[in-house]
Amino acid sequence: MNNLSEQANREREAQLEHVWGNLPGWGALAAVNHTSIGFRFMATGMAFFLIGGVLAMLIRTQLALPEQDIIGASLYNQIFTMHGTVMMFLFAIPVLEGVAMYLVPKMIGTRDLAFPRLSALGYYCYLFGGVIILSSLVLEVAPDAGWFMYTPLSSNTYSPGPGSDFWLLGITFVEISAISAGVELVVSILRTRANGMSLNKMPIFCWYILAMALMIVFGFPPLILGSVLLELERAAGFVFFEISGGGDPLLWQHLFWMFGHPEVYIIFLPAAGIVSTLIPVFARHPLVGYRWVVLGIITMGFISFGLWVHHMFTVGIPQLAQAFFSIASMLVAIPTAIQIFAWLATLWQGKVVFHLPMLWIAGFLIVFVCGGLTGVMLALVPFNWQVHDTHFVVAHMHYVLVGGMLFPLIAGFYYWLPHVSGRMPSDKMGRWGFWLFFGGFNITFLLMHLTGLLGMPRRVYTYEAGLGWDWLNLVSSIGGFIMAIGVAVIIVDIVLHFRFGRRAEQNPWGADTLEWAIPMPVNAYNFSSMPDITTRHPMWERPELVESIAAGEHDLAEVQNLRRDIYGSDAVTGKVREVIHLPTNSWLPLLTAAVLAVVCVSLLVKVYLIALVAAVVALLLVLRWGWENGAHPRAAPVRADDPVDPPLHSRTCDGPGLWGMVISLMANGTLYVSLLFGWFYLWTAAPQWSTPETSPLALIPLAVSGALLALAVSIYRIAVSRLRKGNDGSLSLQLWAVSAIGLTHWCLLGWVLKTSSLQPTELAHDAVLAVALYYLLLHSGLAVIFTALQALRVKLGYVGARVPYEPIVIQAFWVYTLGVFWLSFAMFLLLPMAWGA
Amino acid sequence: MKPSPFHPVNLVLGLIIWALWFVLLYGGLSVGCAFVPPDTEAGAWTWINAASLIAALIVSSYLLVCAYGCWKAPSLAQATDAEPLKAFISKTSAAVYLVSAFASMMLALPGAILPPCI
Repeated sequence: MNNLSEQANREREAQLEHVWGNLPGWGALAAVNHTSIGFRFMATGMAFFLIGGVLAMLIRTQLALPEQDIIGASLYNQIFTMHGTVMMFLFAIPVLEGVAMYLVPKMIGTRDLAFPRLSALGYYCYLFGGVIILSSLVLEVAPDAGWFMYTPLSSNTYSPGPGSDFWLLGITFVEISAISAGVELVVSILRTRANGMSLNKMPIFCWYILAMALMIVFGFPPLILGSVLLELERAAGFVFFEISGGGDPLLWQHLFWMFGHPEVYIIFLPAAGIVSTLIPVFARHPLVGYRWVVLGIITMGFISFGLWVHHMFTVGIPQLAQAFFSIASMLVAIPTAIQIFAWLATLWQGKVVFHLPMLWIAGFLIVFVCGGLTGVMLALVPFNWQVHDTHFVVAHMHYVLVGGMLFPLIAGFYYWLPHVSGRMPSDKMGRWGFWLFFGGFNITFLLMHLTGLLGMPRRVYTYEAGLGWDWLNLVSSIGGFIMAIGVAVIIVDIVLHFRFGRRAEQNPWGADTLEWAIPMPVNAYNFSSMPDITTRHPMWERPELVESIAAGEHDLAEVQNLRRDIYGSDAVTGKVREVIHLPTNSWLPLLTAAVLAVVCVSLLVKVYLIALVAAVVALLLVLRWGWENGAHPRAAPVRADDPVDPPLHSRTCDGPGLWGMVISLMANGTLYVSLLFGWFYLWTAAPQWSTPETSPLALIPLAVSGALLALAVSIYRIAVSRLRKGNDGSLSLQLWAVSAIGLTHWCLLGWVLKTSSLQPTELAHDAVLAVALYYLLLHSGLAVIFTALQALRVKLGYVGARVPYEPIVIQAFWVYTLGVFWLSFAMFLLLPMAWGA
Repeated sequence: MKPSPFHPVNLVLGLIIWALWFVLLYGGLSVGCAFVPPDTEAGAWTWINAASLIAALIVSSYLLVCAYGCWKAPSLAQATDAEPLKAFISKTSAAVYLVSAFASMMLALPGAILPPCI
């Protein structure tokens, strides 16, 4: 390259940095870039990990010797509850989301995730939610009913303080982050891959993240619903889990474990993705059985949803039902084994180089296989009964979670460290860290299996001497502290490497994936130009990509109109379909999360008026967020030089927003189905379920309200159908008409609720009905607001025949709202009437 | 309507059917035991167990047929530029259907020996 072209290239890269970079100083808080947000998730997750680790050390200190009273029973309950809560909700899932957010765009050859502001909102919800939960520990009112918050222990009667409220509200807040990450990652992986990267060429890591993200979408809503119901019971006296009102405490367990068991795999899958990425690199051999591994990932993603009752084998479920879940629990070992055999075969076929990350992978294989085997033991119902609620389960859980998640995570940290810092970690210190951690972990938890088999129960703050548990607990505690020293060594190693680490050469491990084509340390825009990718191992087969990408020899090398542009591609073939224009830095995510935090804290201190006002402000902020989209001057106003081949996504009928809407509605639908499950569960299983003699709702007005909704949706569909054909005549009028009819439906629905004779504080039947009605009101209200805003946007020229995108996205929401209305009418009202219940 | 064996929905359809079958099996058992419980003395020989085993056979057979269709599809189809992608989708889908058939049958098998409502 001559001097002139080098100069031009530098100027081009400077402009890319200007467009894609964060704002200076405090402006960095407005960052939406996936690299920054991914880092923040990881850094915050590690901070929470250290807090959770300190809590674990306190537990081990208390249990080291019998009959100790260093920590009293009450504080001990808070500490073990917070240890589990912090590690599961504030460390494991967010840190892996951070890894995925950081890596996925780089691996699939794009510059950012599909919804950057959503990433930033997710991060701030996570941060604020985490701080709110942890503040309970500082205030000495932390939840103390266990990380699974079983009712009735977590209900008002046995947990009258605010501890359970901190958990329920804080975790729900944090879960906004998880769901947003899930939606974001699914759409990004499916719709923003490099040109030519078909499904069969996709990096295996992205298959794992795709499965994880979809599992989040379907796995988290049951817990969100459960948390909302339990908080309604605690704060407003609604009946869901109280037997005397027709509720059932076991409903909570079902809802919790419908989330809780898939969560184990939500944690495991990305970690396994790291393993499947690293093993081929250090074995110098492509992953053996790529297709088999994909099969394993898909199968695991589904079957893991069918295991939740194995956490409930002792609650009195019929033997045959237990057998279903026992079989399913054993079945899930098959996809796990497929992956393990693929890893072993890759190692067998290759020539393994034992760099530091590989050491952690070896540790993973040993520890996780042990955890998996004790998992199969626990899937056997009679054995499960024997060791239920003992330290055997604690040991199994840590072997699976630490082995299955933390070992690969640290392997990944070491592996991608040069990518972030441009420097190599210390091999010597890293090995010390590994052996201390590996040794300490096994000393702690291997013996804990025996402690459990000897009968020591979980969640007891002390124990009598002479029961045979004394030396086991002492050695476990010593092991725990050795493990902590190992963590300290790793942290020191990582911190020091930023200053003293040897400079890393490009692609220092000889990897095959695309993230190593990016300059190190990483820049704000990833790829200076966007290459076509038609191989699964781009860096092995086309190492010259590093230079050609940097030289701007591929697509989208030039910035257009100071927009953040990436390619949108076909979900299956990976062929480019459109140019997606992404939003730039924005304060809206931070502001929205901050106001949501006010909602959360107001609910905690029971100042409901402030909570209501803050919720309205949060809605206004979200609407403002949506306003700055499409052809808005701050997004991509219509210009004469708009690209046409491929077009901008806001000029099409099928952009990422539509996919995001559909995936969000899947999560929303799962929440609704969970409510239906709760309804049928209570109806069939609650010991004192009862129904009012006459229907508490006015059925005919309700049906008329539904008919109005159907009319609104029909007009909306006609308007959108014409818009798709390029006809935007009287579009604004049609949208106003839809809004008006929708508003009439909403008012009628509200009137039905207001005039009903529901007694949600007396009967579980009425409480579930009330929640269903609130749900319908919320959806109808939002649909009306969205449509009215669309009508305004038509007037301002942001929506029309050339920019038809947004009404199409909202159509999915209307159809969903109509669907749940009539499904609710049928399931909550007609079916019980037909049944005579 | 059955999707083309090369359609990516096949990658998950088998397991969706498995999941629905699981819901039907567990839900059906709960409802059956709540409203029309069979005689506890009958052991495993009850209408609930018989119905679930027969239904499992039907579901598994259907999934096996789907697996066979996806497996054979690449060799029956004409070669195109996108053949590796199509083969990837159909062969992986065949394996997913096979696993789903196995899992669906396995779930119901305990019904051959265990009473349903105890």
